[in-house]
Amino acid sequence: MKRRTLGSWFADLALVAAGFAAVAPVLWTLINSFKTRIDIATSVPRFFFSPTLENYAYVLSRESTFSGLTNSLAVAGSAVALGALLGLPAAYALARYPMRWKNDIQFFVLSIRFLPPVAVAIPLMVIWLGMDMYDSKTSLIVTYTLLTLSSTIWLAVPAFKRVQVEIEEAAVVDGYGPYAVFWKVALPVAGRSLIGAIAFSFVLVWNEFLIALMLTTSDAKTLPIVASELTQLGRDVPWGILNASVILLSLPPILLIGVLNGFLNSSFKRKS
Amino acid sequence: MRFDKRLPAVFVLPSMTVLGVLALVPTLFAITIAMQDRELGQLMPPSFVWFDNFIQLFSDRRFLNSIKVSLMWEVVTVGATMAVAVVLGTLMFERTSPRWRAVLCLLCILPVLLPRVSAAFVWKFAFHPLFGAATYPHRALTGESIDLLADPAMALITVALVDVWQWGLFFAVIVLKLLETLPKQPFEAARLDHASTWEVYALIALPMLRGPLISLTFVKMIESLRAFDLIYVMTRGGPGIATETLDMYAFSQGFIESGRISYASSMAVLMMIATTIAFTYLWKWTRR
Amino acid sequence: MSAIQCKNLVKRYGESTTMVVHDFQLEVAENEFVVLLGPSGCGKSTILRMIAGLEEISGGDLLIDGKLVNDMPPRDRGIAMVFQNYALYPHMCVADNISFGLKRMKVGADEINRRLAEVAATLGLEPYLKRMPTELSGGQQQRVAIARAMIKTPKVFLFDEPLCNLDAKLRNHMRVEIARLHRALKTTTVYVTHDQHEAMTLADRIVLLRDGRVEQVGTPREIFEHPRSKFVAGFIGTPPMNMLEMAVRPDGDGFLLTSANGTIRVSGERYALAGKDRVSVGIRPVHLELAPPGKAQNVLFGAVDLIEYLGNDVQVNLDHGGAELSAVVPARQCPQMGERLGFCVKEEYVHLFDIGSGASLVREPSTSLPRRGDGLPAQQVAA
Repeated sequence: MKRRTLGSWFADLALVAAGFAAVAPVLWTLINSFKTRIDIATSVPRFFFSPTLENYAYVLSRESTFSGLTNSLAVAGSAVALGALLGLPAAYALARYPMRWKNDIQFFVLSIRFLPPVAVAIPLMVIWLGMDMYDSKTSLIVTYTLLTLSSTIWLAVPAFKRVQVEIEEAAVVDGYGPYAVFWKVALPVAGRSLIGAIAFSFVLVWNEFLIALMLTTSDAKTLPIVASELTQLGRDVPWGILNASVILLSLPPILLIGVLNGFLNSSFKRKS
Repeated sequence: MRFDKRLPAVFVLPSMTVLGVLALVPTLFAITIAMQDRELGQLMPPSFVWFDNFIQLFSDRRFLNSIKVSLMWEVVTVGATMAVAVVLGTLMFERTSPRWRAVLCLLCILPVLLPRVSAAFVWKFAFHPLFGAATYPHRALTGESIDLLADPAMALITVALVDVWQWGLFFAVIVLKLLETLPKQPFEAARLDHASTWEVYALIALPMLRGPLISLTFVKMIESLRAFDLIYVMTRGGPGIATETLDMYAFSQGFIESGRISYASSMAVLMMIATTIAFTYLWKWTRR
Repeated sequence: MSAIQCKNLVKRYGESTTMVVHDFQLEVAENEFVVLLGPSGCGKSTILRMIAGLEEISGGDLLIDGKLVNDMPPRDRGIAMVFQNYALYPHMCVADNISFGLKRMKVGADEINRRLAEVAATLGLEPYLKRMPTELSGGQQQRVAIARAMIKTPKVFLFDEPLCNLDAKLRNHMRVEIARLHRALKTTTVYVTHDQHEAMTLADRIVLLRDGRVEQVGTPREIFEHPRSKFVAGFIGTPPMNMLEMAVRPDGDGFLLTSANGTIRVSGERYALAGKDRVSVGIRPVHLELAPPGKAQNVLFGAVDLIEYLGNDVQVNLDHGGAELSAVVPARQCPQMGERLGFCVKEEYVHLFDIGSGASLVREPSTSLPRRGDGLPAQQVAA
């Protein structure tokens, strides 16, 4: 039944092309981050060159890179932590307990994602300016918590629902109180999916750009802003440096690819 | 299960309060600002002009253009993403062995993980008129350089390509996983019923996934609104106003050009109302 | 010419050398109803799916209607299949489910409607044509699945354990329906099940399988009355056959079988017992008769330790010197618990099996040899 038809040749070709298209642009950027300017600025793409680390050295040595990195880590990390701290218990309660406004609450959480970032950023900017907290990490953390909290709840509710009720009921029969059931049973069993949800919210705020752009000018600039600023350095664009900074910016989310892939797989496992 | 009455309150209230405050305060304030005449760096306290900003919007040619661009953007990116997702996901399901499937999945979720800024830059570099790898074939064949991002007709499509690159491949993986959850026997029955391979997918498998596919379309529609990052890095709304979506225009008005944040806020408020109404409607419709 | 010929069919999974089906031979005649019967994992579904074309054939030849079909796709083989889980298309109404195949074959709309009406009438589906599969009960869904197969007027019907998801009462009803359909349509049918009752009532011939190998092929009567091995004897028949290990001693021109609590004398010409000192004795519970009081020879004794009321009869479990014996006794002769009873049995109902191999030790008279055309080697009995 595995006859080679024209259709199947085309299909396989399309798949190879897709896989190539997925990864080739990034690889190309990676390769180019090791090139000197002369090697990059040629019409015919060059694959053989003598690599150099000067681009990375330049990027990593800049003050703004370092501060951008630490800002991003601090802001994303805190927002994710707050989102998890507040969001996981809420998701658990929404998944397991009957509540009067459960559907409305879930819709509310989802509707936060409808908000265009621009609409939220403008008033927030005015507010933070008024509170004299503009361009501070705290203001970003508070703002991003909105995103992490809503996405954590949105992804954690199905994760908790996938935990078999019987396991929790068995714990109740064994004498665990409701908080203990959450802490010792639901959390660990749903653990892998929850980590995926948290990883997702991390990637979400790490990559966030618009809000950070509008709420920071110098002190609290996150890494995406720093990276984009490098693209505005006049006519003589330092492509090698840009490539290097883009690679560096993209590393943390890419490193999480394993976790997110596993999360994706577990979300679609058929209930056996 | 015996239910503790207090746990829901203890668990849910804190986050709902936080969410409520964080969401409602800016929203209400945005509406307030929209009805004032604030400008960045103004010395006098702002006064209320009520609906003047909104009225002005409707005769603003650039605003109307930005609505047109935003709608085009939504249609093109959502349509292309879903098309790529369904076709690629189906091909992956039909043609790959488990080992290759895992490899392809990993590759295809890579683009969506990149910060939009990175993706924008990666492709801006690839499309560079003089030394981009993607424009090289054109240079090799015609000897001329081509600047897609400076061409008003092509700029939007080019930026849309990046969006579809990120989301289409990712959604293809999701479609693949969805196909994997379907029971196999109706497919076998269909093959015995003289259905060709593509008929099995078009008439049986994909209709069985109608619900999840609609949800995915919905998710993409929301995501497409967040394309500011891509456009900002790749074209800044240009050439001219060819890629100036609504949020790009609001941003320009508020920050780059004139600092008229009240005007910008009025645009943002309209955007908010439109998307909330549209998506609430769609949400209820998909839940029926 | 036979409708289906399986020659040395083999199924291997992947690159492993573990074979799931070993050297399967079968010839199915036109209009015949053949049942593949066996416990889970015996390979019966695999063989059915190889015939259907849903599994690749690792070795051997499969011919349908005289044509070699090993590499032919399922839809070109002229078969239709009814699945265990019905496999209906959930998003289409019943009428579309049934006519899906004909539409794919580009049959005209008038012809489709005519056949649809016919099939719906035969299976009583007229009131349900516009309903969705999820709105139907299990039995109705199964009928839709059968209708879907019927409407294509295939050369062969394949059934893959179609009744196992139904409750007992519905199963009986559907079994009768399937039998009736076969009488009316006379289509060649291969039917897979693990339920021996279904097999016995529906089959023209039964193929009993274990671990990918054929244990016995025959009509229901042949398999019931002349089981060729311990496995077959124990699998067929309810309540299951008693198996007792007994010692063998030559006794004149016959043999004496002794156990802890009884003796049976058997003739030498019927059984090949020479050289054996132990043997497995199989007797069906219904063939054990209460011994007349006072008889001590040729009787198996035991103390009653369980009585199950069956209506007309009672099933009595006896403790026979540590081993268990069941017997079926008319209800009016129901014994007491703990009572010591003796049972005798007619020699024609005594089945003897080799202790080691399980093979039947009954010397087969020529009339009950397997029919020609099975391709099955008769189990050689040690003379």
